[in-house]
Amino acid sequence: MFDAIIIGGRCAGSATALQLARKGHKVLVVDRSTFPSDVISTHFLWPHGTSYLNRWGLLDRVLAQTPSHTEIHLVNDGIPLAGTVPVELLRQYFQQLHGDDTGVVQRYASVRRLVLDKLLVDAAVEAGAEVREGFVVEELISEGDQVVGIRGRTRQGARVEERARVVVGADGRHSFVARTLKLPKYDERLKCTFAYWSYFSGFSLGTAHMHRRGRVSIAVVPTNFNQNMTLVFGPSEWFESFRRDVAGNFQRALDFVSPEIGERVRTQGKREERFYGTVDQAAFLRPLFGPGWVLVGDAGSSKDQCTATGMTHAFRDAELVSAALDAGLSGRQPLDVALKQYESRRRSQSAAAYYDYVCTQAEMRPLRHDELQLFVVLRSNQEETNRFIATHGDIAPLSEFFQASNLMLLSDAAKESSRDYAVFADFEATSRMYQQNLFAA
Amino acid sequence: MNPTTTTPLEDDEIIGGLLMAAEKATHSLKGRSLEELLSTPETRETLRHYATEMGEAALQVSEMMRNWASHIPWELLISLRDGAQPLGDDDAVRALWSFFQEQFPPVRMALQEMWQPAHLRRKADPVEEYALDKNTYDFFRPAGRDLLKRTEEYYGWVEARRQTETWPYSRTLEVTPGSKAQVTNEAGRRTQGINFASQDYLSLNAHPAVREAAARALHDFGPHSAGSAMAVGNTRISEELEQALASLVQMEHITLFPTGWAAGFGAVVGLVRPEDHVLIDRLAHACLQQGARAATKNVIRYEHLNSEAVRQSLKDIRARDSRNGILVVTDALFSVDADWPDLITLQAVCREYDATLLVDVAHDLGSMGPGGTGVLGMQDLLGKVDLVMGAFSKSFASNGGFLASHSPAVKQYVKMFGGSHMFSNALSPVQTAVVLKATELIRSPEGDTLRAKLFGAVHALREELTGQGLTCMGSPSPIVPLLIGNEKLARTVYRLFFDRGVLAVMVEFPVTPIGAARFRLQVQASHEPGEAREAARVIGRSISDARAHLTSAFGSELV
Ligand SMILES: Cc1cc2nc3c(=O)[nH]c(=O)nc-3n(C[C@H](O)[C@H](O)[C@H](O)COP(=O)(O)OP(=O)(O)OC[C@H]3O[C@@H](n4cnc5c(N)ncnc54)[C@H](O)[C@@H]3O)c2cc1C
Ligand SMILES: Cc1ncc(COP(=O)(O)O)c(C=O)c1O
Repeated sequence: MFDAIIIGGRCAGSATALQLARKGHKVLVVDRSTFPSDVISTHFLWPHGTSYLNRWGLLDRVLAQTPSHTEIHLVNDGIPLAGTVPVELLRQYFQQLHGDDTGVVQRYASVRRLVLDKLLVDAAVEAGAEVREGFVVEELISEGDQVVGIRGRTRQGARVEERARVVVGADGRHSFVARTLKLPKYDERLKCTFAYWSYFSGFSLGTAHMHRRGRVSIAVVPTNFNQNMTLVFGPSEWFESFRRDVAGNFQRALDFVSPEIGERVRTQGKREERFYGTVDQAAFLRPLFGPGWVLVGDAGSSKDQCTATGMTHAFRDAELVSAALDAGLSGRQPLDVALKQYESRRRSQSAAAYYDYVCTQAEMRPLRHDELQLFVVLRSNQEETNRFIATHGDIAPLSEFFQASNLMLLSDAAKESSRDYAVFADFEATSRMYQQNLFAA
Repeated sequence: MNPTTTTPLEDDEIIGGLLMAAEKATHSLKGRSLEELLSTPETRETLRHYATEMGEAALQVSEMMRNWASHIPWELLISLRDGAQPLGDDDAVRALWSFFQEQFPPVRMALQEMWQPAHLRRKADPVEEYALDKNTYDFFRPAGRDLLKRTEEYYGWVEARRQTETWPYSRTLEVTPGSKAQVTNEAGRRTQGINFASQDYLSLNAHPAVREAAARALHDFGPHSAGSAMAVGNTRISEELEQALASLVQMEHITLFPTGWAAGFGAVVGLVRPEDHVLIDRLAHACLQQGARAATKNVIRYEHLNSEAVRQSLKDIRARDSRNGILVVTDALFSVDADWPDLITLQAVCREYDATLLVDVAHDLGSMGPGGTGVLGMQDLLGKVDLVMGAFSKSFASNGGFLASHSPAVKQYVKMFGGSHMFSNALSPVQTAVVLKATELIRSPEGDTLRAKLFGAVHALREELTGQGLTCMGSPSPIVPLLIGNEKLARTVYRLFFDRGVLAVMVEFPVTPIGAARFRLQVQASHEPGEAREAARVIGRSISDARAHLTSAFGSELV
């Protein structure tokens, strides 16, 4: 009999396991994969993501094999911005959500899941959790409406049954636990991006670069093995036409958004792996807990990749849920009261606002005139640029940056003018052009 | 070597191939019984061929994708390769048959959904989509050099929202605003129902004594003040009104303004100069925000209700600027969130750093607190705050506003330099008389009765809404903010409210942050508790129905 059985051993699962095990609980983690193992993701970790790793004592191991930086470069329709997430905002984030701000770091990193998930699994084992790889869960055991355990198949094919006081579904977007319990999806947002990426060696842009033009975005981020995670994404409506020629359209998108980056990739880049891609990114929420079960990470809510926050949110959930489970399992609080608190943090008003923000971003509408003006305004205001970047990554609350009166104050203080940027020259014609499907034959 | 030829295909291409092979395999089985299949060698061969192709395809799918799409039984699909090999084996054919009959259909659906999600095939009504998707702020900075022509894009969107009856502004009341009302929307449709849309917290608009006072003033002075209060716009009752208000807020010097907006804007602009500083609550009313922006560039918008943040900013400012003034500005009852600050602390902090506090009591004065003294009275601060301003438009049944202070100098100065007092026509005699009568009623025992009735309805409404799992923000006050969140959902709910006779104000960006849309339910003393409860049930049903509508129209469920 375990205190907790965790299904899924990646960002959400192993992170939950290692924290519970460190608090002395008896934990079993099962995952159908065998680690090191890859999974779909462009694996960017924002500074609060790396801060979580640091809080758990794992960041050094990650950074020993992964490049990391503090400055991020954004270019929107030719308007460049660069900035760093401020320490104070990171502190506020951790204070607000977890009531303690130890271990805050400003670095971001792009960590291959091959590397990261293995490290997390190992850390869970070190902490005392039992981890069974290659284990497929096939059934949940219930008594009445209470989930009490799992049945599954080991790597060798043996059928096994295990029981626990609580079963944690850390089993991703297509969660087995959620499907088995027939949990509804709600607040679904179907419009999303299609994302295609691969790994290129042979050039370096230094830090992370994220460029956007019209309805298409690209990102180049240095990652493990001296490679660049190189990503293209656009609106789901253009997906069909994009995939008619993945390699050709990939290059076309790079050239359209940033001719310089397009040129670098074409002439110096060597693609080391196949292209990966998916349009299956519609956002949704699910109920988070019930008798004997709780969901963490993508299982409980999954969003489009466009703001690269899924893994960091999985870490956030892991820290919140392990605090709640610890309180419940140790008897300090009734379990459902503790889990209710976990739920209220994950489903707070500001989390809802961020959900809306990501889903709106994921529609990839051309940037509006006022949004572009805002980027021009930000160029002369480093502090607010940093806050914007922190807001975009869900570190600072949206309600503070995007409050109407803040935006008005910002534009009052503008120093640069839009005259310097070509996109404003004939804005209407440019916007109309952006509406045309770039990949239509 | 060119990597394109050596690296495997991209997953979608492979899954597309797998689905195609599956299609052909199923096609070959169409209309055939198991016996027929077993006895037709060509069909057995076709089936084996496509099953093998499916298995091969599954094997090529990247590890990344397989680990992510964990709901697809990849191992089972891969095993189609071997299972189908021994051609002559009837059991293998039987196994394939049952695989395609039973196991495969849900897998096919799941694969299909990943490969080409259903919503990409669905077409929604483009006008409705446009109306529900955009935000006012999308049009805040129109492009182009023709100032008049560039307003047209915004107008197009307003038209779309009118057409879809999701435009919350400018409805027309058919009769006087009471607890029930009849309104016509912009599509010309008329509805009748419970009125949470009017601001008349004590229902004084219908009070006989108020109407009588208005009639008398009309008779005595005519409808028009015919000039600025600085010229000849005042009548003898203006002075009476100033005294009545002075007693209510316990501050001797009152300046009247033609609207509440003018009072807030005028007070800030009248006192603050470009070198000075303004600290203002992020959610303070627009008249104060705009006054602050017009007066100085040194504006700090502090976190809602956070007096500690005010203290910190005051400390910072005073560390570098000991010469200039600092005005701290807040609402008492905030209309968007229905909450209020700790004014005792705020005033103390201001004193500590030689800053001045201005409190806007537009919503609470008259409608709550002991004897209608509002949040100031509730915190025992009557007469103890530097500056108080208010609007008559919520509880005093009229246009107009005021600024109160302890200083005759401040009064004279703001009258001259506030702009909106001197350069605007004074309150009309009728308005003045109405506010005077309202002030008397507010201070009388009848005022207490009205406030008790008002709060009876407020509690009933909040209780019933909360009981249905909905979120009422803030504390009990005449304003009950019902949080919805998503704008698209709020706009759809709004349309249903209209049909079902609930009149309520929807607030969305720019009044609230994006993604925090809500309904502002404004309760009145003449709302009966039972009526409020019934309305809450209609509200609950409308929200569920709006969600259902969005699901069928756009395939999105908004909770
Ligand atoms: C295209 C794309 C790009 C992305 N880019 C980023 C990014 O840059 N940054 C970022 O932070 N996030 C990104 N994300 C999101 C991120 O990948 C996810 O949010 C994250 O992987 C969620 O972690 P998890 O632990 O909840 O689930 P997962 O990583 O999906 O792990 C779930 C695990 O559960 C296991 N499992 C499932 N069912 C069973 C079962 N029945 N038995 C046993 N084991 C089971 C699976 O094998 C898997 O290992 C991206 C997502 C996509 C689609
Ligand atoms: C807090 C606050 N202050 C001032 C005003 C302005 O008052 P009026 O509508 O009378 O101009 C309002 C009303 O909109 C308000 O809510």
